[in-house]
Amino acid sequence: MGASNSPLALPLAAVFTVCFVAPLFVLLVLSLHGDVAMTNWSLLNYLSFFTDRFSYSILIDTLLLGVKATLVCFIFGFPVAWLSARVNARWQSILLFLVILPILTSVVVRTFSWIVILGRYGVLNQIALGLGLVSEPLRLLYTETGVVMVLAQVQMPLMVLPILSVLSKQDPNLADASRALGAGEWRTLWKITLPLAIPGIVAGCILTYAASVTAFVTQSLIGGARLIYMPLDIYQQAVGANNWPYAAALSIIFMVSVMAVVAILNAVGRRSETHGRA
Amino acid sequence: MAGHSKVPWDSVSINAVFGLLSAVALLFLVAPTLIVLITSFTASESLRFPPAGLSLRWYAALIDADQMQRAAWNSLVVAFWTTMISVVLGTAASLAIARSRAPLMRAADLLFMSPLLLPALAFGFAALIFINKLGFSPSIPLLVLGHVIVCVPFVLRTTLASLSQLDPGLLEASESLGAPQWMTFWRVTLPLISSGVGAGAFLAFVASFDNVPVSLFLADERSEMLPIHLWQQIETNLDVRTAAASGVIVIGTLILMVLAEKFAGLTRQMR
Amino acid sequence: MKLTIDRRQLMQSAGILGLAMGAPRLALGEEKTLVAATFPGTWSEADRNVLLPAFKKKTGATVTQSIILGTDQVSRLVAAKGNKPPFDVAFFDAPQVIDAVREGLIVEYPVAKSPNFKELLPSAQDKWGPKITMQVIGIGYNPTKITTPPTSWDDLLDPKYKGRVGLTALNSQLGIAFLVEVNRVKGGTDENFDPAFKYLAQLLPNVGAIAANLGAYATLWQQEQVDIAPYNFNFVQTLKAKDVPVELSIPSSGAVGWSTSLHLVANAAEPDLAVQYIDLHLDAAIQEQLMKSPYDAIPTNAHVKLEGGITKTLAKSQDDLAKIRTIDWEKINPQRGALIDRFNREIKL
Repeated sequence: MGASNSPLALPLAAVFTVCFVAPLFVLLVLSLHGDVAMTNWSLLNYLSFFTDRFSYSILIDTLLLGVKATLVCFIFGFPVAWLSARVNARWQSILLFLVILPILTSVVVRTFSWIVILGRYGVLNQIALGLGLVSEPLRLLYTETGVVMVLAQVQMPLMVLPILSVLSKQDPNLADASRALGAGEWRTLWKITLPLAIPGIVAGCILTYAASVTAFVTQSLIGGARLIYMPLDIYQQAVGANNWPYAAALSIIFMVSVMAVVAILNAVGRRSETHGRA
Repeated sequence: MAGHSKVPWDSVSINAVFGLLSAVALLFLVAPTLIVLITSFTASESLRFPPAGLSLRWYAALIDADQMQRAAWNSLVVAFWTTMISVVLGTAASLAIARSRAPLMRAADLLFMSPLLLPALAFGFAALIFINKLGFSPSIPLLVLGHVIVCVPFVLRTTLASLSQLDPGLLEASESLGAPQWMTFWRVTLPLISSGVGAGAFLAFVASFDNVPVSLFLADERSEMLPIHLWQQIETNLDVRTAAASGVIVIGTLILMVLAEKFAGLTRQMR
Repeated sequence: MKLTIDRRQLMQSAGILGLAMGAPRLALGEEKTLVAATFPGTWSEADRNVLLPAFKKKTGATVTQSIILGTDQVSRLVAAKGNKPPFDVAFFDAPQVIDAVREGLIVEYPVAKSPNFKELLPSAQDKWGPKITMQVIGIGYNPTKITTPPTSWDDLLDPKYKGRVGLTALNSQLGIAFLVEVNRVKGGTDENFDPAFKYLAQLLPNVGAIAANLGAYATLWQQEQVDIAPYNFNFVQTLKAKDVPVELSIPSSGAVGWSTSLHLVANAAEPDLAVQYIDLHLDAAIQEQLMKSPYDAIPTNAHVKLEGGITKTLAKSQDDLAKIRTIDWEKINPQRGALIDRFNREIKL
């Protein structure tokens, strides 16, 4: 029965081969050439990237940005998932609705609303000045802090949903047993809940990280033209400078880097899982 | 009884800390959308919040926004076709993947999901190069194909989740009663996974409508997409019409979400 | 069993063919559309509010605006060479015309099909495309925060403006014109830009934000993120009309300007519509309308008398305008890439 169903996957596989795998292959080939017409092979694109401090610092900034956004996202996202797992079904639906709504609203719309909030006389500064927390307006727009804040909010559903999925499937008896044995809530959280939730946490972190580093719209609208991350660099080289081979090399480097980080997160997750169970 | 007095304090503190963090997180999740919605009703020319006065003038201005309307229509058409293709191809592929343990199927599953993890911008650019090398120009059908690649993972995720909850006993029963395979699919499987497929279709539609990275490369002014148009407007000419357009999108998404919840149990699918 | 699966796959492929045929018709619509480029900010607004309705009335065709900087227009046209261009009408500042002619991106303007062409001032009648206006830069400032108008580019270095100065990226025309002018004032030449970069390094502690283009710049002014910056006359006027507190002051070292022109792109999809659209920009009545607030565009039609904001700030007559200093773009263009690169590396906020 299994084998005879396999042809069902053929149409999608065909589409993916032609529309996904082939273009990526061409991208790789183009990056190894010196010109768009692909007449001479050359490693120059990669060499000039890795020998130029300015260029690879953009990559490092981008990868670090992802880490920061994922961390902030986790700190605020885990409690939301934790809370949602504990409330009854009706409240859970409401909470989930609130969590999903942002991710379904256009990313341009959401980022735009942050421009209104983070501006010099925007809502955040109005509150901060009004409460006397600061004496001068905070500079949040066009700074990395601003970008991290907005990314964390925009990608939060990606963090909350996998964690919630794992937490709600957890056997409540385990936590009850822990409490009955005298362990406090915090200890239960640290020793039981968290280790068992690691698959969900890792999944959430991977999705959030991947989304944050490639969040072109958010990075360029909040960061402005001066904070250059990999997506904007690729776009500027591809469309602005028409330097397709170099932009292709940037794209390959970017993809490989993201996949590497994802693989590391995956591996870390799997190791903690086995440790947790032991 | 010393153990007992420790427990209430613990649960109070954990509830307080997590409650506070959740409240802040939820506030941050909802507030920006609310703020943009309220700001869109401003009577003034600027984007100050709270708005100086309330008025519908910017929504009225949308009636004259010809180019924005054309872009919105293009986005709708592309999202529609993307969803149709994604649902058909994605459901078929899900059936194949769910039923098989073969390593080839595992690999296929990974391949079909990979657009979620790979930078979509890089894929969009790769697609443009590929089209160019083949001698074509960007066009609506090619844009739809590009969107299918990045949207079909949503259909796969929810449909596979639904299929995994399907009791194989039901299918065996149907077949032992003599029903051919297509009838088993049509009468038994499909109705049971319909909410999963529905939720996936909804997510794919929204993902296509909102897509920026692929549209950035595969769409041009002759076939403009709404998110790109809005992004350009924000970058070049920040005015309140963008807030009004955002308001329309937010309200539209909300309505769609309520419908998806009612008919496909959206939040149930996401758990 | 094999048959049913084949049938399903057949249905799927038929469905895909169906969409391939149906989709283009659904998306593109029936009426004629011209795709025309325009600059972000004031110019796109002026085109959208004045030109588009007039064009629709005259020809019945709609216009889709491609809002894009001059330098990016050149890039896009180069990328599309041999295929259909992304837009039919190019909107260039003086430097882009040189590059476009060299790369074969535009064709000679068909003067015979453009009745308003001969109404232009002789200096505006260029065979590659008519000049429709002139842009001038000076120092923009917020009069509510800065009560004495600044008189020199050095005023921006004043420490009391820390974090309140704005700049645009060098790929925007304002950015590069500012750089060249500051270079000249500081004693540099078209071959040596060190004085300009030295000035920028001194300016850096004062810079609050660097915007990607003039449209994004306007946002900074609207939200009062910057209080003083090099700015363009027309953009100041448009913001003033929106009740944003901003004024333009011409420094004592003089005003700097360049011409802006429209061109017919090679291989255009709708060449006749394109020429009609460009011709409409040359019409005296249209230029008079554009000269009024909030655009205050400097006219090039010989029959339009200067009045309004232009006479108050810039010049009383076309002769005065002709005396405004211009830049030698032939010398600057080849260095543009290197200058942008140097700017990106040295000027980091």
